[in-house]
Parts: sequence; C-alpha cells; structure tokens
Amino acid sequence: MSPGAMGEIGALAISMAFAVSAYGTIVPLLGVRLRRPEVVHSGLRAVYANALLLAVAAAALLYALLTRDFGNAYVAGYSSRDLGFWYTLSVFWAGQAGSLLFWAVVLAGFSALAVWRLGHLRELLPYAAATLMGTSTFFTMVLTFVSSPFARLPIARTDGAGLNPLLQNPGMFFHPPTQYLGYVGTAVPFAFAVAALATRNLDDRWIRATRRWTLLSWFFLSWGLIFGMMWAYVELGWGGFWAWDPVENAALMPWLTATAFLHSVMIQEKRDLLKVWNLVLIILTFALAVFGTFLTRSGVLSSVHAFATSSLGPLFFAFILLILGVSFGLLFTRLGALGSRGQLDSLISRESGFLFNNLIFVGAAFAVFIGTVFPILSEAVTGLKISVGPPFFNQINVPIGLALLLLMGVCPLLAWRKASPRSLLRAFVVPGALAAAGAVLLIAAGVRHPAALAAFGLGLFAAAAVVQDVHRGAKVRRGHGEPYALALGRLAGRNPRRYGGYVVHLGIVLLFAGMAGSALGTERDVVLAKGETVRAGRYTLRYDGGGSYAQGKRLITEAALTVFQGGRRLAEMRPQRNVHTRREEQVMTEVAIRTTLREDLYVILSGIGDDGRANLRVIINPLMMWMWIGAGVLTLGTVLAAWPQAVPAAQARARLVAEAA
Amino acid sequence: MNRTNRKIFAAVVVFVLAGAYLAYSGARSSMAYYLTVGELLDRAGAMRQADIRLSGTVSAGTIAHDPVAGTLAFRVTDGARALDVRYRGVVPDAFKDGAEVVVEGRFDGRTFTASRLFAKCPSKFETEDDG
Repeated sequence: MSPGAMGEIGALAISMAFAVSAYGTIVPLLGVRLRRPEVVHSGLRAVYANALLLAVAAAALLYALLTRDFGNAYVAGYSSRDLGFWYTLSVFWAGQAGSLLFWAVVLAGFSALAVWRLGHLRELLPYAAATLMGTSTFFTMVLTFVSSPFARLPIARTDGAGLNPLLQNPGMFFHPPTQYLGYVGTAVPFAFAVAALATRNLDDRWIRATRRWTLLSWFFLSWGLIFGMMWAYVELGWGGFWAWDPVENAALMPWLTATAFLHSVMIQEKRDLLKVWNLVLIILTFALAVFGTFLTRSGVLSSVHAFATSSLGPLFFAFILLILGVSFGLLFTRLGALGSRGQLDSLISRESGFLFNNLIFVGAAFAVFIGTVFPILSEAVTGLKISVGPPFFNQINVPIGLALLLLMGVCPLLAWRKASPRSLLRAFVVPGALAAAGAVLLIAAGVRHPAALAAFGLGLFAAAAVVQDVHRGAKVRRGHGEPYALALGRLAGRNPRRYGGYVVHLGIVLLFAGMAGSALGTERDVVLAKGETVRAGRYTLRYDGGGSYAQGKRLITEAALTVFQGGRRLAEMRPQRNVHTRREEQVMTEVAIRTTLREDLYVILSGIGDDGRANLRVIINPLMMWMWIGAGVLTLGTVLAAWPQAVPAAQARARLVAEAA
Repeated sequence: MNRTNRKIFAAVVVFVLAGAYLAYSGARSSMAYYLTVGELLDRAGAMRQADIRLSGTVSAGTIAHDPVAGTLAFRVTDGARALDVRYRGVVPDAFKDGAEVVVEGRFDGRTFTASRLFAKCPSKFETEDDG
C-alpha cells in the first residue's frame, strides 16, 4: 500500500470519528427523551465505533512514522531518517496535530472502557456517554478541520526536519503521554458528574463508580509532573526542576484540584457533606485539564500575540466556556436538590481537617491560575501587560505547602465528628516531640533556612503521625493474637484506601524533603585553567583539561573533572556542551550529575575558551534523590489505594449491623 | 448559623485573608512589565527604573557569546524594531538565532541589561503558522 493511501485511511477514520462522536453525543440523549432503549443503545455503540476509528487513525500515523513517510507534513516536520525507534515513536506526541490525536484516541479508549465497565449505571450512562462523546466531537473536529496529522506536502521530502534534540530524552519520551493520560482521565469522573446532575441522581453513586478513574487520572497527573521535573533537571541544564513556567503551571493546576477532589469525596461518602463542592471540583479539574492542553498547544502565554493568530486559541476558549457553561448551568438548576443531610459538628474534627485541606489545594490552584494569566488580566484592566515571576508563586505556595504538611500530620490524629482535645494532645506528643527534636538537630547542624527547617520539622511530624496511627492499628490487631507483620498486612487489606493514602502521604513527605533540600543548595560559577581546583561543599573538583571533537552530526565540547573528597579520589565527571548541526544548530548542555542519598553534585559546562579555560557552574543540591524515591513511594501508595478491599464476610456483616445501629 | 459553623466560618475567613495577603505581597515584589520590543521602545522614558520582562526573537547573526567570561550580547527584535541586550550567566540550550526569548532586567534607553534569560523551544509552542 502506498504511504499516501494509508494517510488517506487515517484522515478518513478521523472524519468518520467526528461524525460518530457527534452521533454519540446526540442519540443517547434523544433515546432517553423518546424513552426508546434501542435508540439509547445505538448511541452507546457509537462510543465503541469511535474508539475503533481513532485506533485506526492512530495506527495510520504510527505507520507513517515508522515507514518514514516524509510526504506527510507532520512526519516531515518532526521526524528524520537518523532518529531511533523510540524517539520516532515519541514524535506521535511531539507536535500539535499528533498530540491532539493522542488526546482523542486516549479519550476514545477511556470512554469505551468506562461505558463497558460502568454499564450497570443505567440511568447515568447515556448522559455520561454523551458528555464523553461531546468532548470527542470537539477534538475530532479540530483534527478534521484545523490541525490534521495527515496533511500531505505538495512534494515529499527526502528527509524530515528532525526532532528537537531537547526532546530526545527519556523524560520527554514519557512526560507528554503520561500528562495526557492524566488530563484525559479526568473526563470520566467529569462525565459521570454531569450525568448525575442531569438525571438528578445526586447521591454519591457517581463518585463511588468513578473512584478508580479519579485515582488513575490523579496518578498519571502526578507522574506527568514528576517526569517533567526529571526532564527539566537532567536535560535543561540549569540545576533546578521547576520554574513556574506557564506550561508547568498548566500541568500543576488540575493536579491540585484533583487532589482536593480525591480528599473531599471521602467527606461526601462518609458524612454526606460537600456535595456541591465536589461537583465544582471535578468540573474545574476537567476544565483545567482542557485548559492545560490548550496552554501547551496554543502558545497563548508564551508569545504576546499568539492568541489572536492561532485559530486553536478561540476554539479551545469556546470549548472551555461551553464546558463551564453547561456544567455550572446544570449545577445551578439543581442546587435545591443538593442539600446535604450531614453537618459539621466541630471545628476540631477530621471533617474540618479535610475542609481546610481542600481550601488549601483550591487556594493554591487559584493563586497559580492568577499568576499564570496575570498578563492577560492586567492588560484587560490597565492596557499594559504586567507579569509576576517565581517570587510570587513561591511566596504563596511555600506557606501553602507547609500548611499541607501540617494538616497531613494532624488529620490522622483527628477523630471524625468531634475530637476531644485531651486525646488529641496525647496523640500529638510523639510526633510533636520528634518534629521539634529534628528541627533542633538541623539548627545545630547549621541549617538556617526558615522554610526548609519548617518543612523538615513538619515533614517529620506528618510521617511520625502516620506511622503512629498505623502502629496503633496493628497493635490492636496483634492484641487479638496476630503476629505484627500479619496484623499490618490485614490492616492495610481491610482498608486499602486509607492505608494507601497514608503511603502516598509518606511519598509526598519525601518529595517535600527533596524540595526543601534543594532550597538549601549552593551554586558557584568558576573559570578554571587546566590543573586548577575548586571547592564545593565537601568536594574538591580538579579540571583536567577539555576540548572539542566531532561525533556524527554533533560537535562535542567536554571538560574532564576529577572529584575529590577529603583527599580521596571519588569520581570523574564530564559535563558537555554540544552543538547539534542538523538543518539548524541546536546547543545541548549535557550536565554531569553525581547522585548520592545525601546530595547531588551537579556540574554545568558553560563553555571552554580558546585558551583552554573552562567556565563551570557547580551546584550542590541536597536530598534531590529523595524526590525520586518519594515518587516511587507515591506509586506504591496509589496501587495500594486502588487495591480491591478485602472484607471477610463476618466483618462485613458486623459493619452492616454497626451502620444500621 | 450555629456556633460551630460560626467558628468554622471565622477560620475560613482568616485563612482566605492570609492567602490574599501572601498573594498581594508576592505580586508586589515580583511584578514586572511584560512588553514587546516596540512597546518598550515607545515607553523608554517611563520605563527607566522599572522591572521589565521583555519578549521578542533573537536577530539572526547578532549573538556574541564569550563562554569563558560568561557574557552574552545579542539583539532582540519584534520583527520591526530591535534593541541590544547584555546578559551574564548560563545560556539556556534553546537560545539561538531566531529563538523566542524572554529577558528580565532593566532598560536604560539604549541597552537592556538582563539578569535572567529564558528561551522557548519552538517545537513546544506552535501557532497555526508554523505548525
């Protein structure tokens, strides 16, 4: 088959998916209105047809990529003959049209899976399917009429322009698809929330049914952020991992609201509170996910006038308005039916702990949002664009992060409904003492950074509170004659969500420790002649010379360094600054990193002069490794939280009786 | 409103006010005018002492980089007009001829002295024209 024909199949599949999505949006609702189950059923089948069609389109794009069809404008624009297999694959989501197709195909797959797995929610299903297919209609429309990955060039090229070398890094291989899986995953709970509103099934069924989806999407959003940070840290070569760039903020905002949602739904399930709030959160999360896709793809904030010139901008803007308009419209007309039966009994209770947790997450999301769109807002008000920088974001989010650590420690100690101050005080003793002792030790060790000290102290507090709570639970079980390890396992098995959540919290504490550590980092710029040394922290670095040599299409400039510690030779480091010479030059800084559990030694080569002197930046980033370990712990916790609950029959009966009583 | 709700309401209000204060002081300490080259040149007089975030593209062939001294000079343009930028520090990889850049610093009417330099990698942000 000619490559062109395959592309035509792909383009056809997308336009058919557009039609099928539109069908799947309208027909299920029509079926409900006409009370014709077979019409609803036909509408639901469109969800599967859409998935099939978009899978064909995705296969066609993969085919074009792997056969290096440089008559395809997208392939020619981002791929090249010398690109290896994996990075050729990653071209799928490296550009605009491809990443929009990725969005659409993941959405189609998730929709099919949700309709299949949640088929028992008969009343909700038609509306949820219509919502998902409405979203699919938007993306397939953009793919059909605005940004097609199957556009042909008038004359096929012999080789493509190639993938930006900055994107040729494992972090960038995994980051975009993970981020998109997270974004798209929010569509499922959102769709069922809309369905709950539309059908006035306003109990917590939609929440319970989509709990795993929420967790999955949250997990992918988390890893999207983590992969992004890893990439920035090892590839961008400035020594940090987060810069409050609009694109980063776009990924952070839905994570913040999704995290709030994960917590607040528990209050609705347990106490029938916060119904409206939960709906608002999931609507915002989905809208922010679409906004995030839009920000990364439109450049509205990166260049001052892109919004007006990109036709994607107004389209996405209109779609986000539509999402917000329809869902808040529904919410508003259902307010009367959304009264909560429960109420808060005390300021000092688990419930109000969750309430403040939610305020914090939403407050953080709001602050990040304001900071991100500040130039647009200020232009609307004053006619001049004014932007805010990292100090704005740090000033708000550092205290917010510390408050979260505190809450993470306090919440497990708080009882539902009303905590008695005395029992609370007793529970505080051990974690509080540990936190204070840790802070004193750090001050004695010379740490003076107030925010970092607070972060370590509160982190210790939170971790100790979690461990103490788990230990108490296990001790009670051991009292019934179970060995300690078994007691721990059974405890977690009985309530995987709670203990999974605790493990996630420990992971977050480690992530915060890494971040606080990086605040204690030092950096120093030096120019060294051959044989000269520089001291950095515990290390002494000797510059052993360097130079440039050609390797394929790259000009490599490398400095050789020997690292000593206390007179002992520790390692060699070879930071590089390379120039890739394809069609146009691209500089690639390859930093050298020596990682230990205690700290990262991070060396950037700015350049080597004609006289052989090297300009280096030497950075010590304490505890960086713990960020990545924390990410691993977070993963374990999420898996545990999603684990099916083990409920022995006798206990289940006992609980039913207890609930009835 | 019962007593518990009043207490919770008061706590929420305190919390929100604290957040608003943090936001306000954070914004004040890091606000900068976000301008294009033309906008800055039109207001050069008024912008003498102001913190400025300037966006534009790097004029091809104007980059002078001394890797050992760590100094960088280039011209940034909005397509019609241009001005000189001086910078000292680590140069981001995406910085090159034609790259979209944002520089932070001050403008004395002739030269823009940048303390921070950001370059956007073009393939990540695309508009219809180059996509």
